[in-house]
Amino acid sequence: MAKEECILSAKDVEIQFSLRGRRLTAIRKCSLDLYEGETLAIVGESGSGKSVFTKAFVGMLDSNGSITNGSIMYDGVDISKYKTEKEWLRIRGKKIAMVMQDPMTSLNPLKKIGVQIQESIELHQGLKGEEAKAEAIEMLKKVGIPDPEHRFNQYPHEFSGGMRQRVVIAIAVACKPQILICDEPTTALDVTIQAQILDLIRNLQRELKMTIIYITHDLGVVANVADRVAVMYAGQIVEYGLVNEIFYDAWHPYTWALLSSLPQLGVKGEELPSIEGTPPNLFNVIKGDAFAPRNKQALAIDFAKEPPFFSISETHKAKTWYLDPRSPKIEQPETIRRMRERLRKRG
Amino acid sequence: MKDQNNTQNDILESEDDLFRFVEYSPEAAEMTGYSDYSYWKSVFQNFVKKKSAVVLTIIFILMVIFSFVALAIGKYDYKTLETNSSQSFISPDSEYWFGTDNIGRDYWCQVWYASQTSIKLAFIVAVGECLLGITIGCVWGYVRKLDGFFTELYNLINNVPMIIYMTLIALLIGQSFKIMAISLICFDWLVMARNVRNLVIIYRDREYNLASRTLGTPVHRVLIKNILPQLISVIILRLALSIPGTITMETTLSYLGLGLDINTPSLGILLRNARSYFLDYPYLLIFPAVIVSIITVTFYLIGNAFSDASDPRNHV
Amino acid sequence: MAEKEKLIEVKNLKVSFGTGKNEFVAVQDVNFDIYKGETFSLVGESGSGKTTIGRTILRINPASDGEIYFKGQKINGKISKELDKEVIRKCQMIFQDPMASLNERAKVDYIVSEGLINHHLYKNEAEREEKVQRALREVGLLPEFASRFPHEFSGGQRQRIGIARALVMEPEFIVADEPISALDVSIRAQVLNLLNHLKINRDLTYLFISHDLSVVRFISDRIAVIHKGRIVELAESEELFLHPLHPYTKALLSAVPQPDPEMEKQKKLFVYNPSIHDYSVDKPVWEEILEGHFIYGNQKELDQYRQELKKA
Repeated sequence: MAKEECILSAKDVEIQFSLRGRRLTAIRKCSLDLYEGETLAIVGESGSGKSVFTKAFVGMLDSNGSITNGSIMYDGVDISKYKTEKEWLRIRGKKIAMVMQDPMTSLNPLKKIGVQIQESIELHQGLKGEEAKAEAIEMLKKVGIPDPEHRFNQYPHEFSGGMRQRVVIAIAVACKPQILICDEPTTALDVTIQAQILDLIRNLQRELKMTIIYITHDLGVVANVADRVAVMYAGQIVEYGLVNEIFYDAWHPYTWALLSSLPQLGVKGEELPSIEGTPPNLFNVIKGDAFAPRNKQALAIDFAKEPPFFSISETHKAKTWYLDPRSPKIEQPETIRRMRERLRKRG
Repeated sequence: MKDQNNTQNDILESEDDLFRFVEYSPEAAEMTGYSDYSYWKSVFQNFVKKKSAVVLTIIFILMVIFSFVALAIGKYDYKTLETNSSQSFISPDSEYWFGTDNIGRDYWCQVWYASQTSIKLAFIVAVGECLLGITIGCVWGYVRKLDGFFTELYNLINNVPMIIYMTLIALLIGQSFKIMAISLICFDWLVMARNVRNLVIIYRDREYNLASRTLGTPVHRVLIKNILPQLISVIILRLALSIPGTITMETTLSYLGLGLDINTPSLGILLRNARSYFLDYPYLLIFPAVIVSIITVTFYLIGNAFSDASDPRNHV
Repeated sequence: MAEKEKLIEVKNLKVSFGTGKNEFVAVQDVNFDIYKGETFSLVGESGSGKTTIGRTILRINPASDGEIYFKGQKINGKISKELDKEVIRKCQMIFQDPMASLNERAKVDYIVSEGLINHHLYKNEAEREEKVQRALREVGLLPEFASRFPHEFSGGQRQRIGIARALVMEPEFIVADEPISALDVSIRAQVLNLLNHLKINRDLTYLFISHDLSVVRFISDRIAVIHKGRIVELAESEELFLHPLHPYTKALLSAVPQPDPEMEKQKKLFVYNPSIHDYSVDKPVWEEILEGHFIYGNQKELDQYRQELKKA
């Protein structure tokens, strides 16, 4: 596979929030490289920091949050140092666009949806009036909304959930961004609509040559859309690699626990391996591996020292002491071996 | 140098040592992100942050206390006041701290006595309208079948200005503290009931109330334990705003001669009496007016501060 | 095979809201039985009416037409006080949203013992406390949690409190309305395991309502697929996955993303178009096309399905 160009590079990013007088470290030294044309999925549960991390790329952190360390290099500039709205407007919506989970809060309920798309086009593409309107109708057609000339004049409440999400996607891609960040775009939608939206985003990506970051907690969606996957836990990326490497050859105990606990991969009649306890409190400083207290096979060093990234392959890295040569031999769990078996059997 | 090497080796070795499995402890895993967030504590903290509200609360409490103290330390006892035309219209001086009124009675004890009466009336009405309003509001909101009936009742009563009701009552039934209190309660419950009813409708179909229904909880317990606790901030806000409302209404009615009887002093009666003379003797107007203003402004600001403080979105 | 006892029977159920022009029919022509000891799942998307069915069985909504039987006795419509009490005791519900299904201003102790208090199911204070503690322990929570408030707990723990609340009544039948949809991925396994344990230890029967077919496969014995208020297919879970017949079932199955990248990449999406059914002349029926496998369709479609089954 030819080495694609790295278009966004985040290094050792640290993000903190001040909440009720205390400081919460939501992202603890996270690094990420994004390559042109790929679909990267960031998986994690609530509280893992996946949304916060990507909000930092478009300058949409809440007012009580700030990037306290690290750098985010995009287009030759460190955008983590941007302070003013003016600087962010050069990127946000234009080069990096975002699609959020709830289409109702992304759309202005008092404006016709066609007008909302048109505004985005006028702002970013420099077209005006009739030209912009024609482009907006073209956009509606592209995202699969039937009868676009008529629906241009309708309001958000006249659309169903799936249709609204299509409109939001239309607004986001209207300016042909280089990077599209989708933050759980289908979580609130029915499963049949979800499949259609995922298909739509895939087609748009191919046509507009975009790079996509998907944020989700649904491993099924990840399997469907991703080329590469990054797994986040307690504000850090703990494992990343190609999608096949993560599903069939994962090495971090949290990824193991996550995959094993999926009912879709469970065996009927057997108990589903579950993860006990709860994620750590990020108000406190975490020593060692954040997942250690919940790991039934933790090593003593997991509590003492934070593990570095170990390479399993050139594209696959995991942050766990299990991969250190000094570690005792440990086997991947049953679930993962079963998946590999099934894959092998299918040929 | 040798020592350093040894320590280096020691460190590596002790690290190597750490590559062993440890006992899994479920208690450590269950260490929940315990949040010691208490709703009422946060409300209090937020309220206290608004210095103006705190200052006014203190001023009001002092004023109420003072009204009792004032009568005690006053040179003249209210009950033994005599009319003495020769002493009328004396401006405030060392003998009569607030001066005297048009028939020579000490104004100081009149003003403070009147304040007590007005405040007493306001609180009684507030409590009464609270009880009546909450009860009716709950039934109105919770029992779907009665919604239509109560809405019509509300519209019927609400569409007629209160002044007309009070006028009719004053003329047909009479004027006294008790009558005023009861009639104010009978018409003020409307606003409280409406606020309560709107919230009850919102909370009625929330999942935890459905759960109570499937458990067979009787309606009154659902209202008291499930729904009312959510309404406390609205109720208190309503109370805070009703107190100046009552005082204003009483003042207006007394001014028009439709309020309390002349022998029961209230701030409104005093203002009424001062009506004819205040151009020449402004002090007759100023003292009661200032007190009415303090009460009104205080409760209005406290009410607003409390309503802001009890909004959970402000608890950050 | 021993004759299995029917715990719940639903016959020709119709539930509609509003009247006259504003009448909205949420559920119609629904027929199914739930046998004692099984987990029966109802799968559908939003607006399909699955939650309505669950709530109607527990008498939260009134049924507009049809009958519901519990252990042979009719429980919809007006029933005697004793029967009402029995239904409340024996049939309980677990709700979807752990953040909304607990009374924020009450202690866990009151929340769990609410049902006991309503029906005086204890002799004295000590017995009530003991029942509460037993219920909390059974769901994996510490008994000392009884004196705390719901906001101090995580989503998974709150859901377990909701389960304890249902359990303390010692029910026979539980309607679980999307009990894991609002929970984090890693917590779902805990709750599913708990539900399975309780089923075995307490001899429970579940109606499991969900929108996620893949989760339902793991936990259920039989599955019914519901679309716009009508059940379109009902079969044993493995049978449904092996031989899905109704086009909506096929669409649902193909739409659910599986956590298996190779499989996903090769998958072809099957879209369901309701207009492929022509019910103007040939009226549809609810028929048992195989033993235990029911389907909704008109004669022409039923013939097609039979052909499909023969080829399989």
